Amino acid sequence: MIPFTRHLKLSVGILCGLALCANGAQAPQRINIKQLSTTVEDVVVPLPNEIFGALNKLGTVNWKEHVRSDKGPNFTERPRIALLLGTVIADGFIAVQAEDAEAVKEIGQRVLALAKGIGVGNSITPHAKAIIEAADKRNWEHVRQELDRTQSSVQQAMNEVHDEKLSQLVSLGGWLRGTEVLTSVVKEHFSADGAELLHQPDLLSYFQTRLQAMPEFNLPIIHEIQDALVEVKPLIDVGDRHIPPDSVKKVNDITTRLDHGIVTRD
Amino acid sequence: MKRLAQVMFWASSLLLVFVVLRPAVLASVDDAQSFALQAAEPYVKQGFQVREDYWGGDLGSGEKKAVRQQLFKGNEYWFWLGTEVDRAKVSVHVYDSDGKLAEEPDGWEKGHFAAAHVVPKATGSYFIIVSVEKSPEERTHWALVYGFR
Repeated sequence: MIPFTRHLKLSVGILCGLALCANGAQAPQRINIKQLSTTVEDVVVPLPNEIFGALNKLGTVNWKEHVRSDKGPNFTERPRIALLLGTVIADGFIAVQAEDAEAVKEIGQRVLALAKGIGVGNSITPHAKAIIEAADKRNWEHVRQELDRTQSSVQQAMNEVHDEKLSQLVSLGGWLRGTEVLTSVVKEHFSADGAELLHQPDLLSYFQTRLQAMPEFNLPIIHEIQDALVEVKPLIDVGDRHIPPDSVKKVNDITTRLDHGIVTRD
Repeated sequence: MKRLAQVMFWASSLLLVFVVLRPAVLASVDDAQSFALQAAEPYVKQGFQVREDYWGGDLGSGEKKAVRQQLFKGNEYWFWLGTEVDRAKVSVHVYDSDGKLAEEPDGWEKGHFAAAHVVPKATGSYFIIVSVEKSPEERTHWALVYGFR
Protein backbone atom coordinates (compact mmCIF):
# COMPACT_ATOMS: atom_id res chain seq x y z
CA MET A 1 0.00 0.00 0.00
CA ILE A 2 1.30 3.43 -0.88
CA PRO A 3 1.45 5.67 2.21
CA PHE A 4 -0.77 8.78 2.06
CA THR A 5 2.13 11.31 1.97
CA ARG A 6 3.76 9.46 -0.95
CA HIS A 7 0.41 9.34 -2.69
CA LEU A 8 0.04 13.08 -2.15
CA LYS A 9 3.56 13.80 -3.46
CA LEU A 10 2.89 11.65 -6.52
CA SER A 11 -0.38 13.47 -7.23
CA VAL A 12 1.22 16.89 -6.81
CA GLY A 13 4.04 15.80 -9.14
CA ILE A 14 1.59 14.62 -11.79
CA LEU A 15 -0.45 17.84 -11.48
CA CYS A 16 2.67 19.98 -11.83
CA GLY A 17 3.70 17.96 -14.86
CA LEU A 18 0.29 18.42 -16.45
CA ALA A 19 0.36 22.14 -15.70
CA LEU A 20 3.76 22.40 -17.33
CA CYS A 21 2.50 20.55 -20.42
CA ALA A 22 -0.48 22.91 -20.68
CA ASN A 23 1.71 25.97 -20.25
CA GLY A 24 4.44 24.81 -22.61
CA ALA A 25 8.16 25.31 -22.10
CA GLN A 26 9.17 27.70 -19.33
CA ALA A 27 10.27 31.13 -20.54
CA PRO A 28 13.80 32.17 -19.55
CA GLN A 29 13.82 34.39 -16.47
CA ARG A 30 16.13 36.88 -18.17
CA ILE A 31 16.98 37.76 -21.77
CA ASN A 32 19.50 40.07 -23.40
CA ILE A 33 17.41 42.97 -24.69
CA LYS A 34 20.29 44.36 -26.75
CA GLN A 35 20.28 41.23 -28.91
CA LEU A 36 16.69 41.98 -29.91
CA SER A 37 17.39 45.41 -31.32
CA THR A 38 17.17 44.33 -34.94
CA THR A 39 13.83 42.61 -34.57
CA VAL A 40 11.93 45.13 -32.47
CA GLU A 41 8.65 46.33 -33.93
CA ASP A 42 7.32 49.86 -33.58
CA VAL A 43 5.38 50.72 -30.46
CA VAL A 44 1.61 50.90 -30.48
CA VAL A 45 0.92 54.32 -29.00
CA PRO A 46 -1.24 53.94 -25.88
CA LEU A 47 -4.68 55.49 -25.98
CA PRO A 48 -5.29 58.40 -23.58
CA ASN A 49 -7.79 56.29 -21.63
CA GLU A 50 -5.08 53.75 -20.90
CA ILE A 51 -3.27 56.47 -18.95
CA PHE A 52 -6.49 57.89 -17.52
CA GLY A 53 -7.44 54.43 -16.24
CA ALA A 54 -4.16 54.16 -14.32
CA LEU A 55 -4.65 57.73 -13.04
CA ASN A 56 -8.16 56.94 -11.81
CA LYS A 57 -6.82 54.15 -9.63
CA LEU A 58 -4.66 56.65 -7.74
CA GLY A 59 -7.64 58.65 -6.52
CA THR A 60 -10.75 60.50 -7.60
CA VAL A 61 -10.17 62.80 -10.54
CA ASN A 62 -12.56 65.63 -11.38
CA TRP A 63 -12.72 64.87 -15.09
CA LYS A 64 -15.43 67.47 -15.69
CA GLU A 65 -12.92 70.30 -15.29
CA HIS A 66 -10.89 68.89 -18.20
CA VAL A 67 -13.81 68.43 -20.64
CA ARG A 68 -13.54 70.51 -23.79
CA SER A 69 -15.98 70.31 -26.64
CA ASP A 70 -15.78 73.70 -28.37
CA LYS A 71 -15.70 73.55 -32.16
CA GLY A 72 -12.42 75.42 -32.67
CA PRO A 73 -11.09 76.68 -35.98
CA ASN A 74 -10.98 74.85 -39.30
CA PHE A 75 -7.61 74.27 -40.88
CA THR A 76 -6.72 73.59 -44.48
CA GLU A 77 -3.24 72.10 -43.90
CA ARG A 78 -3.60 68.33 -43.54
CA PRO A 79 -0.86 67.94 -40.88
CA ARG A 80 -2.65 70.49 -38.71
CA ILE A 81 -5.97 68.69 -39.18
CA ALA A 82 -4.30 65.39 -38.25
CA LEU A 83 -2.84 66.83 -35.03
CA LEU A 84 -6.17 68.41 -34.14
CA LEU A 85 -8.03 65.18 -34.88
CA GLY A 86 -5.82 63.28 -32.43
CA THR A 87 -6.44 65.97 -29.82
CA VAL A 88 -10.20 65.89 -30.33
CA ILE A 89 -10.30 62.08 -30.04
CA ALA A 90 -8.41 62.43 -26.74
CA ASP A 91 -11.04 65.01 -25.70
CA GLY A 92 -13.61 62.32 -26.43
CA PHE A 93 -11.94 59.98 -23.94
CA ILE A 94 -11.90 62.78 -21.35
CA ALA A 95 -15.61 63.44 -21.90
CA VAL A 96 -16.24 59.70 -21.40
CA GLN A 97 -14.31 59.78 -18.11
CA ALA A 98 -16.52 62.73 -17.09
CA GLU A 99 -19.63 60.87 -18.37
CA ASP A 100 -20.64 64.04 -20.22
CA ALA A 101 -23.03 62.84 -22.95
CA GLU A 102 -23.50 66.24 -24.60
CA ALA A 103 -19.75 66.83 -24.90
CA VAL A 104 -19.26 63.31 -26.31
CA LYS A 105 -21.91 63.93 -28.97
CA GLU A 106 -20.37 67.26 -29.99
CA ILE A 107 -16.95 65.64 -30.13
CA GLY A 108 -18.37 62.83 -32.30
CA GLN A 109 -19.57 65.44 -34.82
CA ARG A 110 -16.27 67.29 -34.67
CA VAL A 111 -14.29 64.09 -35.30
CA LEU A 112 -16.41 63.39 -38.36
CA ALA A 113 -15.91 66.92 -39.74
CA LEU A 114 -12.13 66.73 -39.23
CA ALA A 115 -11.95 63.25 -40.76
CA LYS A 116 -13.79 64.58 -43.81
CA GLY A 117 -11.35 67.48 -43.96
CA ILE A 118 -8.49 65.05 -44.19
CA GLY A 119 -10.23 62.82 -46.76
CA VAL A 120 -11.10 59.82 -44.57
CA GLY A 121 -14.66 60.78 -43.64
CA ASN A 122 -16.24 57.65 -45.17
CA SER A 123 -14.46 55.28 -42.84
CA ILE A 124 -15.44 57.35 -39.80
CA THR A 125 -19.14 57.97 -40.44
CA PRO A 126 -20.38 54.70 -38.88
CA HIS A 127 -18.16 55.18 -35.82
CA ALA A 128 -19.25 58.82 -35.32
CA LYS A 129 -22.87 57.64 -35.50
CA ALA A 130 -22.17 54.85 -33.02
CA ILE A 131 -20.46 57.29 -30.63
CA ILE A 132 -23.47 59.60 -30.66
CA GLU A 133 -25.96 56.72 -30.20
CA ALA A 134 -23.94 55.20 -27.35
CA ALA A 135 -23.59 58.60 -25.66
CA ASP A 136 -27.39 59.00 -25.83
CA LYS A 137 -27.73 55.66 -24.05
CA ARG A 138 -24.89 56.60 -21.69
CA ASN A 139 -23.17 53.36 -22.66
CA TRP A 140 -19.68 54.62 -21.81
CA GLU A 141 -17.92 51.34 -22.49
CA HIS A 142 -19.29 51.35 -26.02
CA VAL A 143 -18.31 55.01 -26.53
CA ARG A 144 -14.74 54.17 -25.44
CA GLN A 145 -14.64 51.24 -27.85
CA GLU A 146 -15.95 53.37 -30.72
CA LEU A 147 -13.41 56.14 -30.01
CA ASP A 148 -10.66 53.52 -30.22
CA ARG A 149 -12.18 52.18 -33.46
CA THR A 150 -12.40 55.74 -34.81
CA GLN A 151 -8.71 56.37 -34.25
CA SER A 152 -7.79 52.98 -35.64
CA SER A 153 -10.01 53.43 -38.74
CA VAL A 154 -8.68 56.93 -39.41
CA GLN A 155 -5.13 55.65 -39.23
CA GLN A 156 -5.85 52.56 -41.30
CA ALA A 157 -7.51 54.70 -43.99
CA MET A 158 -4.52 57.04 -43.99
CA ASN A 159 -2.05 54.15 -44.16
CA GLU A 160 -3.93 52.67 -47.10
CA VAL A 161 -3.32 55.84 -49.11
CA HIS A 162 0.28 56.00 -47.85
CA ASP A 163 -0.40 58.91 -45.51
CA GLU A 164 1.40 57.14 -42.63
CA LYS A 165 2.95 60.42 -41.50
CA LEU A 166 -0.45 62.02 -41.00
CA SER A 167 -1.51 58.90 -39.14
CA GLN A 168 1.46 59.38 -36.79
CA LEU A 169 0.42 63.00 -36.24
CA VAL A 170 -3.02 61.81 -35.12
CA SER A 171 -1.32 59.65 -32.48
CA LEU A 172 0.96 62.52 -31.49
CA GLY A 173 -1.96 64.95 -31.09
CA GLY A 174 -3.72 62.46 -28.81
CA TRP A 175 -0.59 61.78 -26.79
CA LEU A 176 0.08 65.49 -26.24
CA ARG A 177 -3.47 66.17 -25.06
CA GLY A 178 -3.38 63.08 -22.83
CA THR A 179 -0.07 64.19 -21.33
CA GLU A 180 -1.41 67.70 -20.76
CA VAL A 181 -4.36 66.35 -18.77
CA LEU A 182 -2.22 63.78 -16.93
CA THR A 183 0.23 66.46 -15.78
CA SER A 184 -2.58 68.83 -14.89
CA VAL A 185 -4.17 66.21 -12.61
CA VAL A 186 -0.85 65.15 -11.03
CA LYS A 187 0.21 68.78 -10.58
CA GLU A 188 -2.96 69.48 -8.56
CA HIS A 189 -2.65 66.37 -6.36
CA PHE A 190 0.96 65.30 -6.55
CA SER A 191 1.95 61.70 -5.89
CA ALA A 192 5.07 59.82 -6.91
CA ASP A 193 2.92 57.10 -8.52
CA GLY A 194 1.01 59.69 -10.52
CA ALA A 195 4.22 61.34 -11.71
CA GLU A 196 5.62 57.92 -12.63
CA LEU A 197 2.92 57.62 -15.31
CA LEU A 198 4.95 60.22 -17.20
CA HIS A 199 7.87 57.82 -17.49
CA GLN A 200 7.53 57.26 -21.25
CA PRO A 201 10.97 58.02 -22.71
CA ASP A 202 10.79 55.42 -25.51
CA LEU A 203 7.44 56.71 -26.65
CA LEU A 204 8.84 60.24 -26.72
CA SER A 205 11.86 59.05 -28.73
CA TYR A 206 9.47 57.31 -31.11
CA PHE A 207 7.64 60.59 -31.77
CA GLN A 208 10.92 62.48 -32.13
CA THR A 209 12.14 60.02 -34.77
CA ARG A 210 8.84 60.21 -36.64
CA LEU A 211 8.85 64.03 -36.64
CA GLN A 212 12.42 64.10 -37.94
CA ALA A 213 11.22 62.10 -40.94
CA MET A 214 8.62 64.75 -41.86
CA PRO A 215 10.69 67.58 -43.36
CA GLU A 216 7.93 68.20 -45.90
CA PHE A 217 5.60 69.34 -43.10
CA ASN A 218 7.28 72.69 -42.74
CA LEU A 219 4.80 74.24 -40.31
CA PRO A 220 5.53 76.36 -37.22
CA ILE A 221 3.51 74.02 -34.96
CA ILE A 222 5.54 70.98 -36.07
CA HIS A 223 8.81 72.79 -35.31
CA GLU A 224 7.39 73.94 -31.99
CA ILE A 225 6.50 70.36 -31.05
CA GLN A 226 9.96 69.13 -32.10
CA ASP A 227 11.66 71.71 -29.89
CA ALA A 228 9.29 71.02 -27.01
CA LEU A 229 9.97 67.26 -27.07
CA VAL A 230 13.66 68.01 -26.65
CA GLU A 231 12.74 70.01 -23.53
CA VAL A 232 10.46 67.28 -22.17
CA LYS A 233 12.87 64.35 -22.68
CA PRO A 234 15.23 65.00 -19.71
CA LEU A 235 12.25 65.71 -17.44
CA ILE A 236 10.72 62.26 -17.92
CA ASP A 237 13.75 60.14 -18.81
CA VAL A 238 14.93 59.74 -15.22
CA GLY A 239 15.69 56.02 -15.04
CA ASP A 240 14.87 54.60 -11.60
CA ARG A 241 14.57 58.02 -9.96
CA HIS A 242 11.24 59.71 -9.12
CA ILE A 243 9.87 62.48 -11.32
CA PRO A 244 9.65 65.54 -9.01
CA PRO A 245 6.67 67.96 -8.82
CA ASP A 246 8.67 70.66 -10.58
CA SER A 247 9.18 68.45 -13.64
CA VAL A 248 5.47 67.60 -13.74
CA LYS A 249 4.68 71.32 -13.73
CA LYS A 250 7.20 72.01 -16.50
CA VAL A 251 5.78 69.22 -18.70
CA ASN A 252 2.30 70.59 -18.04
CA ASP A 253 3.37 74.11 -19.08
CA ILE A 254 4.95 72.77 -22.26
CA THR A 255 2.06 70.51 -23.29
CA THR A 256 -0.52 73.21 -22.46
CA ARG A 257 1.38 75.61 -24.74
CA LEU A 258 1.52 73.00 -27.52
CA ASP A 259 -2.14 72.13 -27.16
CA HIS A 260 -3.02 75.81 -27.47
CA GLY A 261 -0.95 75.93 -30.65
CA ILE A 262 -2.72 72.87 -32.05
CA VAL A 263 -6.27 74.04 -31.42
CA THR A 264 -5.89 77.71 -32.39
CA ARG A 265 -5.09 79.37 -35.67
CA ASP A 266 -1.59 80.89 -36.03
CA MET B 1 -24.47 20.88 -73.66
CA LYS B 2 -20.89 19.73 -74.07
CA ARG B 3 -19.75 23.33 -73.66
CA LEU B 4 -21.74 23.67 -70.41
CA ALA B 5 -20.10 20.50 -69.08
CA GLN B 6 -16.67 21.93 -69.92
CA VAL B 7 -17.46 25.20 -68.11
CA MET B 8 -18.72 23.24 -65.11
CA PHE B 9 -15.56 21.13 -65.10
CA TRP B 10 -13.26 24.16 -65.15
CA ALA B 11 -15.31 26.00 -62.54
CA SER B 12 -15.18 22.97 -60.21
CA SER B 13 -11.44 22.59 -60.77
CA LEU B 14 -10.87 26.25 -59.94
CA LEU B 15 -13.01 25.94 -56.82
CA LEU B 16 -11.04 22.85 -55.76
CA VAL B 17 -7.72 24.66 -56.27
CA PHE B 18 -9.10 27.63 -54.29
CA VAL B 19 -10.20 25.41 -51.40
CA VAL B 20 -6.98 23.37 -51.31
CA LEU B 21 -4.62 26.32 -51.62
CA ARG B 22 -6.58 28.77 -49.49
CA PRO B 23 -4.76 28.21 -46.20
CA ALA B 24 -1.38 28.69 -47.84
CA VAL B 25 -2.13 31.45 -50.29
CA LEU B 26 -5.02 33.46 -48.96
CA ALA B 27 -4.52 33.14 -45.24
CA SER B 28 -3.37 36.43 -43.85
CA VAL B 29 -2.44 38.37 -40.76
CA ASP B 30 -6.12 39.35 -40.59
CA ASP B 31 -7.01 35.67 -40.04
CA ALA B 32 -4.36 35.48 -37.33
CA GLN B 33 -5.87 38.59 -35.76
CA SER B 34 -9.29 36.96 -35.70
CA PHE B 35 -7.78 34.10 -33.68
CA ALA B 36 -6.01 36.49 -31.32
CA LEU B 37 -9.29 38.33 -30.75
CA GLN B 38 -11.01 34.98 -30.17
CA ALA B 39 -8.51 34.28 -27.39
CA ALA B 40 -9.26 37.73 -25.92
CA GLU B 41 -13.05 37.28 -25.90
CA PRO B 42 -13.49 35.75 -22.43
CA TYR B 43 -11.42 38.53 -20.88
CA VAL B 44 -13.70 41.29 -22.21
CA LYS B 45 -16.37 39.92 -19.85
CA GLN B 46 -13.88 40.47 -17.02
CA GLY B 47 -13.65 44.17 -17.88
CA PHE B 48 -10.60 44.22 -20.17
CA GLN B 49 -10.68 46.80 -22.97
CA VAL B 50 -9.16 45.21 -26.05
CA ARG B 51 -7.30 47.66 -28.31
CA GLU B 52 -8.21 47.90 -31.98
CA ASP B 53 -4.55 48.26 -32.90
CA TYR B 54 -2.50 45.13 -33.23
CA TRP B 55 0.86 43.87 -34.38
CA GLY B 56 1.24 41.16 -37.00
CA GLY B 57 3.52 39.49 -39.48
CA ASP B 58 4.89 36.10 -40.35
CA LEU B 59 7.63 34.00 -38.82
CA GLY B 60 9.36 30.72 -39.62
CA SER B 61 9.49 27.85 -37.12
CA GLY B 62 11.76 28.74 -34.21
CA GLU B 63 11.80 32.44 -35.09
CA LYS B 64 11.02 35.20 -32.58
CA LYS B 65 9.92 38.80 -32.82
CA ALA B 66 10.10 41.48 -30.16
CA VAL B 67 7.47 44.16 -29.77
CA ARG B 68 8.08 47.16 -27.56
CA GLN B 69 5.20 48.57 -25.59
CA GLN B 70 4.66 51.30 -23.03
CA LEU B 71 2.84 49.91 -19.97
CA PHE B 72 1.49 51.86 -17.03
CA LYS B 73 1.75 50.84 -13.38
CA GLY B 74 -1.76 50.57 -11.96
CA ASN B 75 -3.18 48.92 -15.08
CA GLU B 76 -3.36 45.19 -15.68
CA TYR B 77 -2.60 43.84 -19.17
CA TRP B 78 -3.16 40.67 -21.15
CA PHE B 79 -1.43 40.04 -24.48
CA TRP B 80 -3.03 37.46 -26.77
CA LEU B 81 -1.21 35.86 -29.69
CA GLY B 82 -2.98 33.95 -32.45
CA THR B 83 -2.26 32.22 -35.73
CA GLU B 84 -4.57 30.66 -38.29
CA VAL B 85 -2.23 27.68 -38.78
CA ASP B 86 -3.95 24.78 -37.03
CA ARG B 87 -1.00 22.68 -35.95
CA ALA B 88 1.33 25.55 -35.16
CA LYS B 89 2.55 26.13 -31.62
CA VAL B 90 3.10 29.74 -30.59
CA SER B 91 4.24 31.49 -27.44
CA VAL B 92 4.25 35.01 -25.99
CA HIS B 93 6.27 36.28 -23.02
CA VAL B 94 6.81 39.73 -21.53
CA TYR B 95 10.09 41.21 -20.24
CA ASP B 96 10.86 44.54 -18.63
CA SER B 97 13.39 47.00 -20.05
CA ASP B 98 16.21 45.22 -18.16
CA GLY B 99 15.32 41.92 -19.81
CA LYS B 100 13.76 40.39 -16.69
CA LEU B 101 10.66 38.21 -17.09
CA ALA B 102 7.79 40.47 -16.03
CA GLU B 103 4.70 38.32 -16.49
CA GLU B 104 2.34 36.66 -14.01
CA PRO B 105 2.45 32.85 -13.78
CA ASP B 106 -1.07 32.41 -15.25
CA GLY B 107 -0.04 32.93 -18.89
CA TRP B 108 -0.91 30.03 -21.17
CA GLU B 109 -0.19 28.33 -24.51
CA LYS B 110 -2.80 26.22 -26.22
CA GLY B 111 -1.92 25.18 -29.76
CA HIS B 112 -2.26 28.17 -32.03
CA PHE B 113 -3.14 30.53 -29.17
CA ALA B 114 -0.94 31.92 -26.40
CA ALA B 115 -1.41 34.62 -23.77
CA ALA B 116 0.68 36.52 -21.24
CA HIS B 117 -0.57 38.45 -18.22
CA VAL B 118 1.27 41.50 -16.86
CA VAL B 119 0.70 43.66 -13.82
CA PRO B 120 3.49 46.23 -14.30
CA LYS B 121 5.63 46.93 -11.24
CA ALA B 122 6.76 50.17 -12.87
CA THR B 123 5.62 52.47 -15.68
CA GLY B 124 7.88 52.17 -18.71
CA SER B 125 8.83 50.16 -21.78
CA TYR B 126 8.32 46.42 -21.89
CA PHE B 127 9.26 43.86 -24.51
CA ILE B 128 6.73 41.34 -25.71
CA ILE B 129 8.46 38.37 -27.33
CA VAL B 130 6.33 36.41 -29.77
CA SER B 131 7.56 33.12 -31.13
CA VAL B 132 6.45 30.41 -33.52
CA GLU B 133 7.78 27.35 -31.69
CA LYS B 134 6.82 24.94 -34.46
CA SER B 135 4.60 24.94 -37.50
CA PRO B 136 3.84 22.76 -40.52
CA GLU B 137 4.01 25.89 -42.72
CA GLU B 138 7.22 27.50 -43.94
CA ARG B 139 5.97 30.92 -42.78
CA THR B 140 3.30 31.31 -40.13
CA HIS B 141 1.18 34.42 -39.79
CA TRP B 142 0.83 35.79 -36.29
CA ALA B 143 -1.10 38.62 -34.70
CA LEU B 144 -0.80 40.06 -31.23
CA VAL B 145 -3.56 42.06 -29.55
CA TYR B 146 -3.68 43.43 -26.06
CA GLY B 147 -6.19 44.55 -23.52
CA PHE B 148 -6.04 46.45 -20.25
CA ARG B 149 -8.20 47.26 -17.26
